[in-house]
Amino acid sequence: MVDISAREAVGDPRPPRRLAEDLAPIVFLAPVVLLLLVFLIYPLMSSFRLSLLSWNGLGEEGKYIGLANWWRLLHDGLFWAAARNNILLAIFSVLIQLPIAVVLAVVLDNLGRGSQLLKILYFLPLLMSSVALGVLFKNFYDPNFGPLNALLEGLGLGNLAQDWLGDTHFSLAAVIAVICWQNIPFYMVLFLAGLASFPAEISEAAILDGASEVTIFWRLKLPHLKGTLRTGALLAIIGSLRYFDLIYVMTGGGPEGASELMATYMYRSVFASFQLGYGSTVASAMFIIVTVIAGISLRLTSRLETEV
Amino acid sequence: MSAKRASTLSALLMGASFAVFAGTAAVADDVKTITEWDLQTTPAAVKVIRDAADRFEATHPGFKVADTHIQNDAYKAKIKIAFGANDAPCIFSSWGGGPLREYVHANQVLDLTPYLDKDPAFKDRFLAPSFGAVTADGKIYGLPAENSAAALIFYNKEMFAKLGLTPPATWEDLLKVIDVLKSKDIAPFALANKGKWPGSMYFVYLADRIGGPDAFAKAVQRKPGGSFEDPAFIEAGKRLQELVNAGAFAKGYNGLDWDVGAARRLMYSDKAAMELMGVWEASIIRGENPDFAKKLGFFPFPSVPGGKGDPKNVIGTMGDNFVSVSASCPYKDAAVDLIKSITDDKAAAGRLADGRAMPLKGIKIDDPFVASMFDLIAKAPSVQLWYDQELPPKLGELHKDTTQALFGLSATPEAAAKQMEEAAKEELK
Repeated sequence: MVDISAREAVGDPRPPRRLAEDLAPIVFLAPVVLLLLVFLIYPLMSSFRLSLLSWNGLGEEGKYIGLANWWRLLHDGLFWAAARNNILLAIFSVLIQLPIAVVLAVVLDNLGRGSQLLKILYFLPLLMSSVALGVLFKNFYDPNFGPLNALLEGLGLGNLAQDWLGDTHFSLAAVIAVICWQNIPFYMVLFLAGLASFPAEISEAAILDGASEVTIFWRLKLPHLKGTLRTGALLAIIGSLRYFDLIYVMTGGGPEGASELMATYMYRSVFASFQLGYGSTVASAMFIIVTVIAGISLRLTSRLETEV
Repeated sequence: MSAKRASTLSALLMGASFAVFAGTAAVADDVKTITEWDLQTTPAAVKVIRDAADRFEATHPGFKVADTHIQNDAYKAKIKIAFGANDAPCIFSSWGGGPLREYVHANQVLDLTPYLDKDPAFKDRFLAPSFGAVTADGKIYGLPAENSAAALIFYNKEMFAKLGLTPPATWEDLLKVIDVLKSKDIAPFALANKGKWPGSMYFVYLADRIGGPDAFAKAVQRKPGGSFEDPAFIEAGKRLQELVNAGAFAKGYNGLDWDVGAARRLMYSDKAAMELMGVWEASIIRGENPDFAKKLGFFPFPSVPGGKGDPKNVIGTMGDNFVSVSASCPYKDAAVDLIKSITDDKAAAGRLADGRAMPLKGIKIDDPFVASMFDLIAKAPSVQLWYDQELPPKLGELHKDTTQALFGLSATPEAAAKQMEEAAKEELK
């Protein structure tokens, strides 16, 4: 602003254009900044503020209790068990979803145009609503009627049949399997896009040099996908730490909290036990944990990338 | 735009038409909408509400009722968000008890006492105890609407007859029935405890049979000697785990979802013989599976040896759902008229035809099945409201959590009782 008035003072002949140029970034950034302010910064700040209250979320705002909710959170075994489940989900999401998605992407990419139908079929799980998927798999896992146990028994593996969703040992794993099934297509598409930029001449040259498909995969295609893999891993980790829907539909975090995640715990605190203040503490802690873990993974993977 | 133009056009047309219509013709913009939320999802139950709304609209020109029907567990979250966001519906359903009192103490619910005092004939139709769950500080905040819902043990009469079994009246008889059913590879009880409230019914009944309703009342009111570590609650936990260890529940019980019919499915397919559930289950079964409904019988929860509670006591609610008016409703008087319409004699007759009996004095029930269920409730010396509804929400959740852990055999009855008592000391002062 000072700049403009100074220019006016010396009689710059083109002040309107300069003004437009200065204003342009502000005008273009305004909508996104406004949206971020309204839908990200403000809610974030208010949940930090609410985390300092003892309030059931109804009527008059509750009373200020300082850091008491945070102190309680630090000693809340249920919360830390939920956080541990989130980390398990993140680890297994990366270990299961990414390799399978890479293999599918490479296979589909090699098949070329003939793979159109398969691409659509593999993509379908991602298009289904999580609630419908949850109900579907509740039936799939049902120990009395479900096809999974019937299949195991039919194969003579009856002793492997379990109470998948009702047993504290299996419920988290059972839902993780469905989450992976649902999300693999997403990463598959991501990697297919990555492979689309892989130059065909390079693999032709490699084939002429006598390289096998396997060698091409390990030596050429996988290194080519490095950046995409890093993005995929980050998305999987962040997504897992914030996960909510299939767990809520399939187990509600149960039985006995065995599949509780931070987000379902937050939901339960606010909506079932009417503790808006403490629920906001959980939400804020979730934000901190997700940010820290995402930051660490970004750093770690960026170092890996430069070292390779 | 086009809707606006159409309404202007219709207003013009109306203005130009006969004067007779002038009184009733409301221009679209003037319609006063009363929002109504409930958790009735079966067609018959929804129709009762809609018919009541139609009657209301007929006598209250200019008003329209926007009725919304929401699935059980989703409803609990949605109503909370609506109140938290100051966007509550005019009329809402609840189970009374602790959660409703939270809303009342936040000044979100209209006090109905003056309205009922003005119309004693309407109020006196209801059985007096039915207002207990919606009374706070001596004021009434809701009307009993849907059902007289006690939990009873439903069973497959045909299966019992085939196996030579009779409904057990005592704990020993129940264990014998369980043994026989187990030997035939039939799960004695269907239980879908993902939502935790179905399992809670076993605990509440056992505690009521063992310690009587007083044990709970004293613990809640923090009276001298009242405690959630009372031997009655610990023994209730032990008996519950005795059932679990006897294999009384169908496989997967802690993970099955009642809301999607996982328990009824076990009954329909002859994989399970009994289910402890509220009487609404009978009404659902009649709608869902009329053939099976013919085989459906029920009996009261058995007595427990040495128990202080009267075996004629039931647990449940006289009203099931209660309808209330939110304090933020712009048309309070009309809204009260609407909830009266939802709970009037015509609505009661509609519900009766659907196998549900409102807690009204001298209600005439033709259906012998419904009549005998209602009889059990009307004659019960005490009707204990579900713990998870009677307790403040945080304790109610803890009660359900600890009970699910009892079912999962991962908590001892003593530890569960201790957890409840510690939380009660904080919550109930």
